[in-house]
Amino acid sequence: MTIYFENDIKSDWEGYQKLINLVNDANQIKDPEIIFDFSGVKFFEANLCAVLGTIIEILEKNQKKITFINFNPVVEKILRKNEFLCNYGFEKAIDYYNTVVKYRKFIPTDDEGFNSYIKNELLNKKDFPSHSEKLGKKIMQNIFELYENARTHGKCNYIHTCGQYFPRSEEKQFNITIVDRGVNIKENVNSFLNMTMSGSETISWAMQKGNTTKSGTIPGGLGLDIIFEFIKLNNGKIQIISSDGFWEYKRGIIETKNLENPFQGTIANLRFNLNDKSYYSLSDEHSDNWDFTF
Amino acid sequence: MSTIIIREIIKGDIAVSTSDGDLVYNLITDYFKNHKTVSIDFEGISIMTTAFLNAAIGQLYSNPSYSDDFLNKHLHLKNVAKEDRILFSEVVKRAKEYFRDKDRFEDSTNSIINGD
Repeated sequence: MTIYFENDIKSDWEGYQKLINLVNDANQIKDPEIIFDFSGVKFFEANLCAVLGTIIEILEKNQKKITFINFNPVVEKILRKNEFLCNYGFEKAIDYYNTVVKYRKFIPTDDEGFNSYIKNELLNKKDFPSHSEKLGKKIMQNIFELYENARTHGKCNYIHTCGQYFPRSEEKQFNITIVDRGVNIKENVNSFLNMTMSGSETISWAMQKGNTTKSGTIPGGLGLDIIFEFIKLNNGKIQIISSDGFWEYKRGIIETKNLENPFQGTIANLRFNLNDKSYYSLSDEHSDNWDFTF
Repeated sequence: MSTIIIREIIKGDIAVSTSDGDLVYNLITDYFKNHKTVSIDFEGISIMTTAFLNAAIGQLYSNPSYSDDFLNKHLHLKNVAKEDRILFSEVVKRAKEYFRDKDRFEDSTNSIINGD
């Protein structure tokens, strides 16, 4: 049985909705063998492979077998470069321009694997970042905060990740998407607060500084705020999709929406601008003699 | 004074995970139990997150014996990269709020459950 992809798929509400709806569409098909026909797709934002990989993980758990056909050559090339399609019998393609951050999935305990992945995929890129070592460090710190958040809250089998760099765009955009399948933000927050908020309301709650569902001896409630504050300074973008909630921050505006079908996990997509010449001066950085007091 | 060299404990230069932070926390509290003063050396650490610091440092505030005065006297930080220093202030501030809120939350939950 074939599912047709009729339009381009981007990191926006429509794009996420299309990918998330695949779970329902495929589960309604009795045939366990499902073909994804990409003939209508001229552009697929490569970082979304992390989402597609998670959707396929869900479908495979439901005894479905997924194959791909009819790729536009440009789309196929990029998904072979980032090695997503290598999981489905396609040959790897060489990334001559160093613009992809490979698709990978990690078990949550493999922090060493994720550390090496980020080092190899980002630090070894000659353009990363194009202007300042300090900016590169801040971006890596944000990615690790996000990954740790997924590991801690999701209680998932795998964390899927993929990225894409656009060196020719004026802002030299870099997108990275991290997806975990497991307990989503809506379940975590509503269970913690004993409330019945919508998906987007629970994401808004989780994005506020100091809010955490943690209850043990290790404090929480800072990681997402650190990311949010940096993205504001960097003029980047954050999208969080969890259960039926969609939450986005872009250029000073927060947009929230609901999705038709809930996603069984959390998608976090970060966009950084590498062409950022701002100097992030923080108050504690100025003095050479730093004597921290508790 | 005993020294904890973070790079040796976490076997690398990336101090990002809660589990690595936990390792450091356990070492610090072992020294404290033996009435020792500890210096934590961050030399060579390239990336650090609040997730790591919440576990390594913020968690100390779960024990009421480790007051600000106690920590200022018995815990010293060395070789923290300039751009990472702000994380320590954020983590300590957050830990104080978290345990204050947690105590309040647990007190109110107990009064609901016990009816007192």
